[in-house]
Amino acid sequence: MKKQYTKEKKNSSFDKSISLNIFYTKPDKYKLLEDISFNSEKIINIGSNLSYSPLGFSKESLSMDIRKFNRILEFDLKEKLIKVEAGLTFHELLNFTLKHNLWIPQLPGYPSITIGGAVAANSHGKSCAIHGSIRKSIKSILLFHKNHGWMNLSDKENKEIFDLTVGGIGLTGTIVSVTFKLLKIESHTFTTKKFITKNIDECKKIILKESDQSAFIYSWNRADDLKNFGKGLVYKNEINNCLIDFKEFPKFKNKFSPFFIPLWNKISIKMINIIFFYFNQITKPIKDEDFIKVIFPFYGKEKYFNFFGKKGFIESQLLIDEMKFDAFMEEFKILYTKFKPTITLFSIKNMSGKQKFVRFEDNKLCITFDYINSNKNLLFMSKIDNLYNKYEILPSIIKDSRISKETFNKTYKYSYDFKNKLKEFDKYRVYQSEISKRLEI
Amino acid sequence: MTYLIIGASSGLGRELANKFAKEKNDLIISSRDERDLKAIRSDLEIKYKINVKCIALDFTSINEIDSKIFTENFPFDQIKGVLFPVGMMFEKDNPLLDSESMQKLLNSNFLSISYTIKKFEKYLASGKNFSIIGFGSVSGFLGRKINSIYAASKRALESYFESLAFDENFKNFNIQFYTLGYLDTNLSFGKDLKLPKGSILTLSKIVFKNREVNFKKTFFPKYWALIYLIIKVLPVSIIRKFSAIINK
Repeated sequence: MKKQYTKEKKNSSFDKSISLNIFYTKPDKYKLLEDISFNSEKIINIGSNLSYSPLGFSKESLSMDIRKFNRILEFDLKEKLIKVEAGLTFHELLNFTLKHNLWIPQLPGYPSITIGGAVAANSHGKSCAIHGSIRKSIKSILLFHKNHGWMNLSDKENKEIFDLTVGGIGLTGTIVSVTFKLLKIESHTFTTKKFITKNIDECKKIILKESDQSAFIYSWNRADDLKNFGKGLVYKNEINNCLIDFKEFPKFKNKFSPFFIPLWNKISIKMINIIFFYFNQITKPIKDEDFIKVIFPFYGKEKYFNFFGKKGFIESQLLIDEMKFDAFMEEFKILYTKFKPTITLFSIKNMSGKQKFVRFEDNKLCITFDYINSNKNLLFMSKIDNLYNKYEILPSIIKDSRISKETFNKTYKYSYDFKNKLKEFDKYRVYQSEISKRLEI
Repeated sequence: MTYLIIGASSGLGRELANKFAKEKNDLIISSRDERDLKAIRSDLEIKYKINVKCIALDFTSINEIDSKIFTENFPFDQIKGVLFPVGMMFEKDNPLLDSESMQKLLNSNFLSISYTIKKFEKYLASGKNFSIIGFGSVSGFLGRKINSIYAASKRALESYFESLAFDENFKNFNIQFYTLGYLDTNLSFGKDLKLPKGSILTLSKIVFKNREVNFKKTFFPKYWALIYLIIKVLPVSIIRKFSAIINK
């Protein structure tokens, strides 16, 4: 498979659960992108390789890195439209749009994530309860497909492929550029209020009560033991009213480098959680925070991920109806008592949208758990998987790299529709990742 | 002030375009594929609020140089300098290369550049503070069995730039020539190189900083100066034997 402009390298998913030797290319011209695509049997697109599950690589596919396509192609201040290449990072995009007091609010959790990656994953940020997923900000897409060539996708042109591409985990072709409808942002700083919660029930009530059309609400909860399970904080970020001149963000660098020995364990997690919780209790309940701290909370805190060590972690993100939430959490706690999993992060937020195809999107509560990658935790997670049908839970295949084909088929009711339409569009199924192969998408 | 950059669509050329635009210079950028040029133009115009013109041309063709650059509409009076981060390589390049490919390599790596410079001299009679910036290759240090014609062209180009420095007609011009080793571009992508690659971002900053120096001839990355010295001191027969041992 080794060809000009390709190299072989070892690549891992962000959660470190899957590592493979892959063939990799990074074209920097349109002609090269075309030539490499025409000469490759199987392809998958990759950006900053920050997706938790292996969406950007596969043993049999050539990983096409699109980060050299990182230019701003069109900008209409009056219409609030911007057309950018898919390899542009959110850091680069915001450095430009915020100067004009514009943004898209559906920002993924790390600034070096690419536009193409966020569109393929249908990313949803902290504001997903108000603004939904990134799908809502996309006007059109320019796609390149090995067999179909260049395609303009929008609600008016190739609508079906447009629909398949947004949140289509990169399986419809290479997203080359995207046009966004921008929103006005009143300020580049936020006021953060925090509420102390004693348990999950209280946390859920605060999230639902405080939800309005202007604030981002999410929680941090303890899950280090059953006694303190759910105790935590609810954060409410509101955009400030005072507009000050925007200062460009400094150049971002990925600082992800797992430590040789994992540092997260039951004792260290408990200690950090206690310190964090009590520190937040004694500090001011309302404070002003800058844009980066609110929107990209893990920037500068990469050690959280590095502490998992070489074996990494597994994140489980679940969408559940608020009416079914309490009963699910009760069963979760019963299994927790039995299996005693090691959970480093537990968070809840609200989400809006409509579930379709393989998109992680709905009008539901979104629960996130980070687990240490251990056999005991995997066993616990498999028991939780068994509850998905009972509580009509949708697990994220973007975050959870361990989801089985059976679980996927049961929970993603519209995935057959996606598969059929995709097969109809691309009968050779050129674009394939490790995840799409495992889930037989 | 406007700079003409030939070969601006990727690698060093694109980085130079970005650096010169960031420093608020208008640009005329040229390369083969108009799509890449248009994308760069939009990006630089939107970000830096400068003017960028695109010329899509096949630089191996002297006719295209004449018909697309040296036209009546070309703003010669505004041009402050011309940069040639341009080049062409063929995988099959060796001393027995077919003559058509050989001609293309010679043109894009040497003849088209010298032709363009000659034409500019005619249009810019005084040449005061006009910069001509060329880029050679360490492959031109010594003859070689692969990339032979490319290496020969680059050696010719280096000699040509040295000649410009001696020529009375160019005494008011700023002549700069960079002999380039491995750079972090697609030309070196996936190649098993034994020596580290230089950053094109760093190089673009150096080129911009030196743009008004009257004469400059240097290596990038710098360590190639030492390698050059060793190669020039050692007899070719010893280098041949050494090369044979490495290639075994």
